[in-house]
Amino acid sequence: VPALPHPQPVQYKNVIVLDPAHGGTDAGASISATTPEKALTLAFAAKLRSLLAAQGFSVVVTRDSDPGDALPSDQRAGVANHARPLACLVLHFTADGGGVHLATSSLTPSDASASRFAVRWATAQAGMVTQSLALSHDLSEALDAAHLPAVEMRASVPPLDNMICPAVAVEIAPHKVKDGQPTAVTDGAYQQSVAQAIVAALTNYRTEVFPASASPASAATPEDER
Amino acid sequence: MIPRYQRILLWTLVCGCTLLALFLIRGCHQAHKRLTALNDATPIAAPVSATNELVALYVANDADATITPTEARVPLPQDPPLRARALLNYLLAQYSQENSAHPLKSGPAVDDVFLLAKPKKAGSEKSDAGDAEGGKVAVVNLNGAFASNHPSGIECETLTVMSMIGTLHAAMPEVTEIRFLVEGEQRETLAGHSDLTRAYKAVDTSHTR
Repeated sequence: VPALPHPQPVQYKNVIVLDPAHGGTDAGASISATTPEKALTLAFAAKLRSLLAAQGFSVVVTRDSDPGDALPSDQRAGVANHARPLACLVLHFTADGGGVHLATSSLTPSDASASRFAVRWATAQAGMVTQSLALSHDLSEALDAAHLPAVEMRASVPPLDNMICPAVAVEIAPHKVKDGQPTAVTDGAYQQSVAQAIVAALTNYRTEVFPASASPASAATPEDER
Repeated sequence: MIPRYQRILLWTLVCGCTLLALFLIRGCHQAHKRLTALNDATPIAAPVSATNELVALYVANDADATITPTEARVPLPQDPPLRARALLNYLLAQYSQENSAHPLKSGPAVDDVFLLAKPKKAGSEKSDAGDAEGGKVAVVNLNGAFASNHPSGIECETLTVMSMIGTLHAAMPEVTEIRFLVEGEQRETLAGHSDLTRAYKAVDTSHTR
């Protein structure tokens, strides 16, 4: 009798999905006269990817170039859901506001185990809102520790609501300092500080979710082994 | 010398022409009366100045991503859809003022607000949709220029949407769900970020952070 295939794990502890928002015909916000948001999100994802890899994370990105057409939000959610990651970060930039905005789904939290057979696509994130809020809190603390102001909020931003993993939209806005010129989001040092804080938060979050983890190896470990 | 029968024929023709002319003139008068009777003679209602009412505006602040209820006196009409439209336009006009904590460009923002009975849920035994759910759906039709000129960003767009939801909820408690259109059509996002395809619950948005 052939052996049954191993069931797929619920979550891989070392996998992170990065979704550089916009792309293709969807340029996103106009950060400056020559810089569209889609270019910044892609460059920031590359920067974050290398920092995460150094911490033993395996990174899946929804796009690693500027496609000809806009990537549908359902397709982005599909990539994230298929990867079964520890967390998914949707990356955005804006020229308005200040600090780093951390948005989690505005869906009402529900018990993920309540849906035994199927999850509704439109409200897939509902079962993960609690974990997403915990991830957002870790990100906020890490940014505060790096002296970067962070604002946590609930929002309905595609494709957050369709994801079945802890997911947070990270929107980087200019760094405003009292009685001084704000630092633009295109500033390399500012981006590096934010990226390092995000990596620290994800490392901390991994330890919280998998407290017994001893090795940072990128092996896929099922959540059941916690 | 004109023969007698020709004179009789001539006078007969003259009388016939006269009668025909009189008949045509009378017909014209009757047609004119009939056409003028079709005109709408309803008197135009005299303009009534709306009274100032105390309402709660849910005002957004970009600095800390909060929505704060503030009271204001706003002239509002009595008709609910017009009232909702006037209220939202007033709210959004505040954001175009100098020193606004949530700056938006000035201009018309809300074209229409439609109030509909909430659709009946599948399996509901009640026949009337509105009664089954006990509320109304407000469909806010945003102006295309407003959406196009809106600053692009998660925080900014979310605060605009939450501000409108909170203000509508406070002014019209019968509204339980709010949907958004742009120029009469469904649009994925307001300015690239905040989802406009979903239905939002009408709730107090000052606590949603």
